[in-house]
Amino acid sequence: MQTIWEGFVEALRLLFGGDGAIYEIAARSLAVSGLALAIALVLGVPLGGLLAMARFRGRRTMVAGVNTGMAAPPVVVGLLVSLFLTRNGPFGDLRLLYTTWAMVIAQVVIALPIVIGLSLAALQQLDVGLRQQIAALGAGRLQAFVLQLREIRVALLATVMAAFGAIISEVGAVMMVGGNIRGQTQVLTGAIVQETRIGRFSVAIALAIILMALAFSANFVLTVVQQRGRRQA
Amino acid sequence: MARGAATGGLEAVTGAAVAGGADDVVIAARALRVVRGGRTLITADDLTVRSGEVHVILGSNGAGKSTLLKALNGLEPAEGDLVFRGQTVRSAAARLELRRRTAAVFQRPHLLATTVRGNVESGLRLRGAGRDEARSRAAAALELLDVTHLADRRRDKLSGGEAQRVSIARALAVDPEILFLDEPLASLDPPTRRTLSADLLRIFAQRAMAVIWVTHDRDEALAVGDRVSYLDGGRIAQTGAVVEVFARPASPALAEFLGLETYLQGCIRDGKGDAPAFLDLDSGATIACNDAPEGPAVACLPPEDVVLFAGRPADRSTSLRNVIEGTVKAVTPAGRLLHVVVAGDRLEVGALVTRAAFEELELRVGGPVVAAFKASAVHPIPSHGHRPR
Repeated sequence: MQTIWEGFVEALRLLFGGDGAIYEIAARSLAVSGLALAIALVLGVPLGGLLAMARFRGRRTMVAGVNTGMAAPPVVVGLLVSLFLTRNGPFGDLRLLYTTWAMVIAQVVIALPIVIGLSLAALQQLDVGLRQQIAALGAGRLQAFVLQLREIRVALLATVMAAFGAIISEVGAVMMVGGNIRGQTQVLTGAIVQETRIGRFSVAIALAIILMALAFSANFVLTVVQQRGRRQA
Repeated sequence: MARGAATGGLEAVTGAAVAGGADDVVIAARALRVVRGGRTLITADDLTVRSGEVHVILGSNGAGKSTLLKALNGLEPAEGDLVFRGQTVRSAAARLELRRRTAAVFQRPHLLATTVRGNVESGLRLRGAGRDEARSRAAAALELLDVTHLADRRRDKLSGGEAQRVSIARALAVDPEILFLDEPLASLDPPTRRTLSADLLRIFAQRAMAVIWVTHDRDEALAVGDRVSYLDGGRIAQTGAVVEVFARPASPALAEFLGLETYLQGCIRDGKGDAPAFLDLDSGATIACNDAPEGPAVACLPPEDVVLFAGRPADRSTSLRNVIEGTVKAVTPAGRLLHVVVAGDRLEVGALVTRAAFEELELRVGGPVVAAFKASAVHPIPSHGHRPR
């Protein structure tokens, strides 16, 4: 009990005492997951739209693949990305393994099926009549897509929330492809693992508080916007 | 005209209600077919709509009215020729162009998740109108539909009638060459329906656009239409001026749909000057009827054209050619009127009378009654062996 209390007090001292290393780790976490989220959104929302609106052979298989991918364990993603980026792998020459870029790639792979799957589901739930009305209004394919995104904006925010929550708190893949190298590729989750393992509980607790705060505040902001969107719907 | 109408077939009656030559043709369908999964859902052999015309597509539920409308406004790809302003619409790009020069309002308003003003501007913005132009044209459309006061509201703060007005304002804001309406009044309560349909007619009168109005409601068709196409089982069975089609339906199915529910089957014989024609019924009776080519025919008789007398009228000075003495077989309420089935010796007819008249004539089921109707009230349709249910 003593350890927990002392650890907690020390953690607060570290947090507010401006320990540069801790903030650096937090900043790296945000940068890696934020970039991965942005890439996943830019790629995933149009792909979700394509799967929702277009009719082509193999569409069903792709939807099944996306749904399966939403539940892919991060360690398996870590293994796959490692296989591709390892020195003898297909992209080994890029020397990306154990860099933050590898971590971004792994997190994009984790977030992408979530973004595609959830935006696809939201678009498909749109009233067929409304989709028809949008086309009848004179919208071209791209215009219709943009208007439909506006109709599902609340669901899109939920998508952003789900994807960010999945990657910011993920530990398996980032440690495998990033190497958990202090000062280079270590993010909050990996640092918590390491500090706990070596018994520096106070630092681990401080990192955990930051991670929780990040996850909660992101969710809080999104929830506020979502509720406002709901009122306006 | 009567002879021409009674010969039946497609395009039996051509409209006299709409002036103008071929130049005015906005849209035409020639052998247009909507085929899905190898099945032909819709066939429009020959449909022409001119500017300034309100063309009603009439049919029962499931007749394919909405699908035809979607084929005509380019939402649904179709085989055959769809000609818009002289240009055949084939590609997806041409269908988009067609949708950009027209507008559609459906049974449900389908407003977007923005303000009323944003909705009314949306069609203009999609067509590349600038912010100021969109705003001023939207304001004019809101004014036209009398919904300016709703401009800042969102869709969940509107009644059904208000939302539909906004949907119509959104359609009219783009100044469409054709306005497509798919059961626009069907979800509204009767008073709202009346005021909105009056407003629509006022707006149509001010504009040169063509209107294609889908409905299953024959009274609505009669109230708003210049011309009507009757869609039966996915095929346009008859097109013509509304009054002509209602007076002289070319098929028993349409006659039945229009509520002309007494059917008399027999053979047409020339009246030889005594009457336009006679119909020798299969039952043995003979009635005077409208002119029609000789041969087998089915005649329909609108119940509102049948007059009832009590007992045996001493005064036979009536000009009505057909008189049936019989008994009241059944009485059922029909709105504010009563529908009376009169069973004669060899034929049975339906009649509509007011409740007051029913009382005054002292009619009762099983009691005696005389039914009479003019020769011109009987519209023989050359029969091709089929009969309505």
